[in-house]
Amino acid sequence: MMEMLDCDAVMRQVWDFLDGELPPERMQALEAHIAMCERCGGHVKFERSFKAALRAAREDGADSTELGARVLAALRREGFTDPRGV
Amino acid sequence: MTDSRRTDAEFETEALRHLPEVARFARSLAGSDADADDLVQDTFLMAYRQWHQYERGTECRAWLFTICRNRFYRVRERAQRQVATEDPVLESLAAAELHRTAQESGLSDAFERREVRDAVHRAMAALPEVYREVAVLVDLHDQTYETVAAILQIPVGTVRSRLFRARRLLQGSLLAFAADAGLRVPGASASTRGPRS
Repeated sequence: MMEMLDCDAVMRQVWDFLDGELPPERMQALEAHIAMCERCGGHVKFERSFKAALRAAREDGADSTELGARVLAALRREGFTDPRGV
Repeated sequence: MTDSRRTDAEFETEALRHLPEVARFARSLAGSDADADDLVQDTFLMAYRQWHQYERGTECRAWLFTICRNRFYRVRERAQRQVATEDPVLESLAAAELHRTAQESGLSDAFERREVRDAVHRAMAALPEVYREVAVLVDLHDQTYETVAAILQIPVGTVRSRLFRARRLLQGSLLAFAADAGLRVPGASASTRGPRS
């Protein structure tokens, strides 16, 4: 039988839920509560948008070609042999 | 192929491929791109020297992040770290209050706007280090709480509470940004505001 949670319990675990850090049974229990509860559903929707905004702001990695060449040069001075022989 | 060439090939395959991610992580720690590039070079040199200590089959990226962070704090002599405030109950209550304010402000809709991306960068940079490093690892590098705990050498519960606090501070900063940008923020109180950039 699925565990029933109240709103306070859901609030306390909302980030663990969104980060996928809960055991499967607890994830299911939160999903069930969120599907039924407008207040918690709204809260989760907001936090999900926030997480998406953080991900969207993630730098896609500036061109690291120059840095890579510099690191390789430093490694070669340490004795590293580039397997590609470059 | 000699042993050393085999080792070098393995280092390239396992470690060097993570250079872009280590560079991003270094930029989140260091204040400038030049310092970050030095830190990346230092990280890979140290990793190469200690490659025999890398435990095969474990996550190499997390191992590199650990070295990167250790080098950063050693170089900067930042052994005296800020003390984080961690109270999950208070954090939970504060988060609920902040959510109510954010709903009224229309911040959820604003999250999708281009200018919010810059505000997120500024807010992240303004976070105290103990919170920023956890948020960077989880939110920007998709690391699990357990991996972050191993990298930072702190308990998982501390990762969790610092992460919650970091996100609340970030949301507070974004609310302040929304207010400054002219969005409707009727109830944003000083207590929900995070560090300003």
